[in-house]
Amino acid sequence: MSELPPTTSIRRWLVTTNHKDIGILYLITALFFLLFGGVLALLIRVQLWDPANQVLSGLAYNEAVTAHGLIMVFWFLSPFAFGFANYFVPLQIGADDLAFPRLNALSYWMYLFSGILLAVSFFQGGTLSAGWTMYAPLNVPMYTPSIGSTGAVLALFMFVVGVTASTVNFLTSIHHSRAEGMGIMDMPMFTWSMLATVWMMLFAFAALLAVGLLLASDRVLGSVYFSATEGGSLLWGHLFWFFGHPEVYIVFFPALGVMLELFQTFSGRRLVGRKWVIIAICLISVQSFLVWMHHMFLTTINLEIKTLMMATTIGISLPFDLVVFALIYTLMKGRIQFTTPFLFAFGALLLFILGGITGVFLGAIVLDYEFRGTYWVVAHFHYVMFGGATALFGGAYYWFPKITGKMYDEFLGKLHFVIFFVSFNMVYFSMFLGWETPRRVFEYNPEFQIFHQIGSIGAFVLGFSFFIMFYNFAKSYVSGPEAGENPWDYSRTAEWAVSSPPPLENWPNRPSYASGKLEFVKDYVPDGGPAVKADENGNAATDGGDTHSDHIRDYPYWDKHPSHASIWPFTLSLATGIMLLGLSGFNDSVAFEIGESLGSTAITVSNAAYPMLAVLGLLGLIFSGVKWGLEEFYAPPSEFAERWPFNGVEKVKLGMWFFMASDVILFGAFISAAVFIRYNAGWRTWEPLTESLPGLINTFVLLTSSFTVILALVAAHRNSRKGLLASLGTTILLGLTFLSIKMWEWHHEVFDRGVTLSQNAHGDPIQASIYYVTTGLHGVHVVGGMLIAGFLFYRAYHGAYLDDERPVEYFGLYWHFVDIVWVFLFPLFYLF
Amino acid sequence: MIHPITLQQGTDWQAQAEVFEEIFFVFLALGTLVGIVVVSYTLWNVYKYRDDGSEPDADFDAPVVGELPTGQGGPKAKKLFLSFGLSAIVVISLVVYAYGLLLYVEDGPDTGEEGDIEITVEGYQFGWEFLYPNGHSEMNELVVPADKRIDLTVTSRDVWHNFGSSDLRIKSDAIPGETSETWFSVSSDEVAAQGGEATFRVECFELCGSGHSAMKGQITVIPQDEWDEWYANTEGDSESASVEDADPASDTDTSRVTGAAIGGVGA
Ligand code: HEM
Ligand SMILES: [Cu+2]
Ligand SMILES: [Cu+2]
Repeated sequence: MSELPPTTSIRRWLVTTNHKDIGILYLITALFFLLFGGVLALLIRVQLWDPANQVLSGLAYNEAVTAHGLIMVFWFLSPFAFGFANYFVPLQIGADDLAFPRLNALSYWMYLFSGILLAVSFFQGGTLSAGWTMYAPLNVPMYTPSIGSTGAVLALFMFVVGVTASTVNFLTSIHHSRAEGMGIMDMPMFTWSMLATVWMMLFAFAALLAVGLLLASDRVLGSVYFSATEGGSLLWGHLFWFFGHPEVYIVFFPALGVMLELFQTFSGRRLVGRKWVIIAICLISVQSFLVWMHHMFLTTINLEIKTLMMATTIGISLPFDLVVFALIYTLMKGRIQFTTPFLFAFGALLLFILGGITGVFLGAIVLDYEFRGTYWVVAHFHYVMFGGATALFGGAYYWFPKITGKMYDEFLGKLHFVIFFVSFNMVYFSMFLGWETPRRVFEYNPEFQIFHQIGSIGAFVLGFSFFIMFYNFAKSYVSGPEAGENPWDYSRTAEWAVSSPPPLENWPNRPSYASGKLEFVKDYVPDGGPAVKADENGNAATDGGDTHSDHIRDYPYWDKHPSHASIWPFTLSLATGIMLLGLSGFNDSVAFEIGESLGSTAITVSNAAYPMLAVLGLLGLIFSGVKWGLEEFYAPPSEFAERWPFNGVEKVKLGMWFFMASDVILFGAFISAAVFIRYNAGWRTWEPLTESLPGLINTFVLLTSSFTVILALVAAHRNSRKGLLASLGTTILLGLTFLSIKMWEWHHEVFDRGVTLSQNAHGDPIQASIYYVTTGLHGVHVVGGMLIAGFLFYRAYHGAYLDDERPVEYFGLYWHFVDIVWVFLFPLFYLF
Repeated sequence: MIHPITLQQGTDWQAQAEVFEEIFFVFLALGTLVGIVVVSYTLWNVYKYRDDGSEPDADFDAPVVGELPTGQGGPKAKKLFLSFGLSAIVVISLVVYAYGLLLYVEDGPDTGEEGDIEITVEGYQFGWEFLYPNGHSEMNELVVPADKRIDLTVTSRDVWHNFGSSDLRIKSDAIPGETSETWFSVSSDEVAAQGGEATFRVECFELCGSGHSAMKGQITVIPQDEWDEWYANTEGDSESASVEDADPASDTDTSRVTGAAIGGVGA
């Protein structure tokens, strides 16, 4: 642990783990990517000026379209929203910070470096050109051979890793750190929207992680998932849209939260039908996973399923209806103040209404048959997604005074809004008028040229309008008037109850809503023990204490000061970035000449730089990981907090549960992929590639190791160092046995029989890919488990975990999970 | 509003009565109406309840920082549910209505004894190959007779494409390893109106690589007798030019049928 340097020092920004600092980093980085994606958009618009125009080649145009989509959806919209979430969710729920501050820093750095990887991919022979939807098989090297294409896929993978960490962090924070008295229904609407967002992200991004891993495996290792004619293309469609549809709400919900917040603040009214809005938000989150095939109405899925998807699609538009009306009725009878933030939020509502109505058109299958792949879809989703983002810009104006302590310039803000709103509609409404133009096509029917020209003019004006905002913010930051604690007349949420900007640990004393409104209470801290809830006179309460204080007693360092700085999130992300950069060119620079057996494989390296980067990155990653593990970083849970519905669950354990829930989806997607392809190939035409005996032995080995992990925990609990070492050691040995048998099986049972990642002497090549990749993913989990177990063993040898056995318990949870997954894989690959 | 739609093979086809145009029109009319009502109602209220600097009403209960939302008897939600109910009815009836027409489109019109022509369309980087029942194949131009129902079986030999013609309102994914189906039919009136040869633009609607933009084709419809003559001269076995027994290439139960007819749909 190191001290946090002042904000003027560059080091501060590299080591900070404070949620407000990281929020600022997110916001600034996201705005940078807005510019990046915006420049690409302008390139597209220039090309569209004239159907005969060829500013960019066909390939370059596709790269621009792809990168524009990827950057705006992944590297701008969500991170921009998460900038606000980082800054304000802890403030709104009365927490000191997020649950896992270092993990939060890790998410940010993963995001930043993944974005840099994406930018670099332009210079690796051109970035990906398969569209942001990356349809298969255009996304495999046979059709998009550039190294940069692989680089972009790996960048996306890295981004998703950061997102997953962030998801777990927010879920744990919101469920574990709400101030006393703030029940889940009492949370401010922005926080509510973020909660729904991260719940959706937990599952949706796990599916994207899965599909990204499969694609990375196809591109880097050479498996053949997405080029397989046994349903490879449709597999991509299903997995991508299973993620993709929730994703559109994931980017929209934070903006919705801002709208809900701002409508109340600037009308002086409380949300109409609050409970129903919350219910609608929850409904949408669940339903969002049941509509994905409405993006695939034109594929070969059958009529019954299409009908079902049409029904669920229309079903999901109904709760949205309710939310929109709630927003409108909230304004009525209010005292509406037309400030810049309100104008943006209100503009967002209008745009969203238009986007929603055109969405209903798309939900009717017959219409979708014609709209699919045209500018109608492009216009629709810009109205909903970018329309939503409009509210986020409102949020930027709204919270600018809180973040900087300075007031923005109201006139410039309104000017920005007017220009923005007019040009927005020029760009996107013209798309409805010229909707018959196919999407991602620049040699379009000249009949529509006028619409595209209006759009192109609008785009430049739209781009320009943001410079008014940047100028406004820069000028106000330097010389704006002091904003004070609370510049708004009718704000309600807790961020307005502290200074602007808020102090490092947010609160003067412990925030509590126990009395029905926000108060700062001073707790009584007995000498040598954790805080105890105080009664009115500031003395220790005697009424039996607080059940939640167990959460803090579990932390043996309770008397330390919370930490706010660590360099390891930064180095870990940097190392990951370097490793992935190396992997992007791996397939092109390293060739394997496979001989009779694995042993006689000849390796030729044509470009040493890539493999060296990969190895360098891997070493840095392991080094940073170990240093992270050894660092003393103290982030205690809040002492008195609302934790429904996870009252009895300790913080890190809760985080583990969330993480494993996402891992379940990851494996679920891999297994579904295996089942889907096999079904398409004809289920019974496949035989297991290997004898069932090694698999059977391995099943026993793993199940036994699950048992020894429990023994380790028991030993730690009984303070028996020897017992702990013995059972941990046995677990490690069993894990290594599993891996050895696995290696032997891959080598002698499978490989020597002519089965490689892309070839199969006994049947469809895709079967070989599935076998290696799915059992390989499990193998990677086992290896990860072994590394952690080795680390625990080393620490235990030096006497750790006897008074605090929780790390052993968490490892146990993970290990059980890995074993359970095997129980599913075994029949799939060895028996049937 | 829902009219049983039948396709009459014959001379009295009505060119303007397309399924798509009809639904699109209904959706557009209702969508515009709902949009205008909601937006103007909202704008009017926002104007009406603006903060004009006057003293707040006596019952105006300003929120304060740090309050909790519950237990404050928030405003009643009756109106909310009324509007919600109304809009739900509009949306649901629209979709039910559209669904009725979907079933028609999925099945295709009854073609009577005239029979169909089965064409296999194969997308590739970057163009379309049309395969006729007699084994003849054409690149990028599909020549078919008027007044016939043309069934297309669409697939791809490399990446995912999407075969579509905006003029004909047909579209179908071309996916490697899969076949999907669509159909169309052009009346001889339409052909006559276009001067004895009706042409329709074909475009690719799914990004498929560097030549995607230029992946254009054409559907040419000519009178039956001219077509018979043309078809007889194509290489391949002209016996099987009698398309009655052309085999439907698809045997999968997952394939999809859709389409629309120019001028083929009347009341
Ligand atoms: C009223 C509710 C909505 C309905 C009924 C609806 C329906 C649809 C349908 C059926 C499609 C597929 C179009 C096609 O590719 O053929 C679509 C595309 C899309 N929608 Fe919506 N939508 C709704 C709201 C939203 C919202 C709220 C968002 C995001 C904030 C959104 C974002 C998108 C995006 C990004 C796509 C296109 C993805 C792509 O192909 O690249 N939609 N919508
Ligand atoms: Cu969707
Ligand atoms: Cu194409």
